[in-house]
Amino acid sequence: MLTNYIKIAWKVLLRHPFYTFITLFGISLTLTVLMVLTSFLDHLFGTHYPELKRDRSIYIQMMTQLDSVRNGRSQGPMSFKFLTKYAKALKSAERVTICSMFNTSNAYVGSQKIDLNTKFTDADFWKVTDFDFLEGKPYNEQNIANGDYVAVITDDFKRQYFDNPSDPVIGKDVEIENIHYKVIGVVKGSPITRILTHADVYFPYTAPKSNYQNTGMRGNYIAIALAGDKRGMKAINDEFQGFIQRIPVPGDQDGFKYYALVVKSMPYLESFVGAFADGDSGLKSIFYGVIGFIMLMLMGLPAINLVNVNVSRILERASEIGIRKAFGAPIRTLLWQFIVENIFITFIGGAIALVLTLIAISLINNSGWIAHADLTINVTVFLVSLGICLIFGLLSGVLPALRMSKLNIAEALKA
Amino acid sequence: MIRHLFKLIWNKKRAHSLLIIEIWASFMVLFGLASLLVHNLSNYREPLGFSYEYVWVVDLNNNQDTVAVAEKTQRIIQRINAFPEVASSSRMSDNSPFSANTMNNNVERGNRKTMMDFYVTDEKFADVLEIPLASGRWYTPADSIGKYRAVVINQKAKEKLFDDEDPVGQLLGDKPKGNDGSRQQKIVGVIDNFKAKGEFMTNMPAIFQQLDAKESYHKKILVKVKPGTDAVFEAKLVKAVTAMATGWSVDVDHLTESCENRHNLTLVPAIIFVIVCSFLLINVALGLFGVLNVSITRRRGEIGLRRALGATERSISWQFVGEMWVLATFALVLGLVLACQFPLLNVFDLASSVYVIAIIVAALIVYLLVTICALFPSRQAAAIQPAVALHEE
Repeated sequence: MLTNYIKIAWKVLLRHPFYTFITLFGISLTLTVLMVLTSFLDHLFGTHYPELKRDRSIYIQMMTQLDSVRNGRSQGPMSFKFLTKYAKALKSAERVTICSMFNTSNAYVGSQKIDLNTKFTDADFWKVTDFDFLEGKPYNEQNIANGDYVAVITDDFKRQYFDNPSDPVIGKDVEIENIHYKVIGVVKGSPITRILTHADVYFPYTAPKSNYQNTGMRGNYIAIALAGDKRGMKAINDEFQGFIQRIPVPGDQDGFKYYALVVKSMPYLESFVGAFADGDSGLKSIFYGVIGFIMLMLMGLPAINLVNVNVSRILERASEIGIRKAFGAPIRTLLWQFIVENIFITFIGGAIALVLTLIAISLINNSGWIAHADLTINVTVFLVSLGICLIFGLLSGVLPALRMSKLNIAEALKA
Repeated sequence: MIRHLFKLIWNKKRAHSLLIIEIWASFMVLFGLASLLVHNLSNYREPLGFSYEYVWVVDLNNNQDTVAVAEKTQRIIQRINAFPEVASSSRMSDNSPFSANTMNNNVERGNRKTMMDFYVTDEKFADVLEIPLASGRWYTPADSIGKYRAVVINQKAKEKLFDDEDPVGQLLGDKPKGNDGSRQQKIVGVIDNFKAKGEFMTNMPAIFQQLDAKESYHKKILVKVKPGTDAVFEAKLVKAVTAMATGWSVDVDHLTESCENRHNLTLVPAIIFVIVCSFLLINVALGLFGVLNVSITRRRGEIGLRRALGATERSISWQFVGEMWVLATFALVLGLVLACQFPLLNVFDLASSVYVIAIIVAALIVYLLVTICALFPSRQAAAIQPAVALHEE
């Protein structure tokens, strides 16, 4: 029976290739846009290399100092000293790393210039993150205590800096801003969109120019605290906020007198949305509102289109319904036929969308637009949006058909 | 005729409501897209105001070294200028052209107040970036010891604070109260545009203050090199600077590259938006086309009757195109009610002319879209033979 329905559906599709094209175009376009968009959001905020423990990490990346009327503010990352005192001391965290935001620098090979991002980290950085070491090992507490001039580089930088990229480079020398460092490890590079862990060259924080000695509260460092499991994240937040509340205010930072101090400790997504919406709940809802509106428009337009085409075409099927009823088909059978037909066309659309998304994602990944981009298809999103398309298809295709199948046979045949 | 069309549509308003919603939604999407593009294009049409070819930015950071920073900086600048490859150089604050840094502050004059971008630069800034002066002059070393602190403003700042008055020679800000060495500002020159963040950015009011060579805070150096200078010299420059000041970091950027990065920040989202929107519109156009096609097949009887009563082919096709125009107008009226809120409530801080142009452009595209979609089915309708159509009936 089912194969029969599918056969009918196939014939119906072929009868008017143009309308079939419109329907398929609408379904596959909507799904493709949605999937590429969500896969990009997932790339930005999901748990991916090298932050494979992001889903149980608390990020401490921004200090806000407010003046007495809460109008003026001074905002930015913190000093190494401040984070050592308050973040490193967290007892509820399994492990805490302190690292700098990346700095830009340059290296020169012959007549070639290499633009670099450098980062200063502690030894725990390599345990909180999950970098793949292609060669060598990370620097340890001993290297840091000795103030060794060592560096962990990425495979990308290795390829650009060294003549023969297939040779091992451990123990070799790289020169950056007139200082020589010994390569101690080579890791697989990470995309720049993971801005808290991305860099081309990593130095221990005791290397020159890291400014870890700064005495104020503000500087260029952030901290990532790792919880044992997801439930532990709240405990870390509570403990850290307890520390922050005990810091005496008002105080003075480089001539800026502050009366309130806010340091957020939040999971990645929240800490990012908060960073540019200022943690203000009103702005946050505007941010989600705008995203929701764009999504609605993206989904809404093709959905209205689908409904429109389906509703106006249903009269075409009137005589067919009439004949089938005349030969004794009950309403239930007719209903099933239309449901199968709709599922069939939605799945074809879904399959096309899947192929288009794969093409779009591989284009983005290979375009070099974001180095090391690793966009993937999110299966949940695919299934959910396929489901939504199905609902619209059923609403617009099956409901009018149902109404029509309740017509008298004579009338249906006449139409 | 138009009244008749309105009546025809009003009679079938339920069947047409979905079409109206679809056209309305496309109008809103087009309006958003057009606002974005018009805003960026109108910015792009303004001249940049300076030239940045062959200019490098050398960013110095003294890190933990706090001994004689100002003197070391001055020595480094002298060393840079001594290279034969360097044409000229200028020291400025952190907010160099195309960088992510901004400094701004409110500037008051009498009862007028405006937000201005602040730049602290030395005397050679206009020379390095080839900024032409509209009136007055750029500050000179002699100004550094005068009674007033010499400043230069741009045309936009002049408009905000002075209207048609000549700002050269005027004073800005309050008289300093204490004896802390701060001086009142005196305008010595006016330049035209200064779009420091690239072609697509708004031309903001800007004020340039003379940099005190003896201070140690502002340590970015714009270096204009001679054409043909390459990375070999850049490496030599970095080596020379780091050798002079141990522990300092040096980062070299080329303005041409940072300008491109800045432009991409605007272009990439715009291109993505355009691609997605054009797919949406193709989708809508195909849908409209399909719906019209179906409805014309269904109205064969009506068309046959009109033809039999003497209507020309042309008037038949005009009827369908006209019907679509009336539908589009209904949708546009709905859309305009929403779109007009943007300039009225001043959302997103854009000039209202941007929204007006965007509304016009979006409306034109919507009309064009429905016309194209209606044209082919209406031709088909016009080709219907009255005898055949009426016979079927």
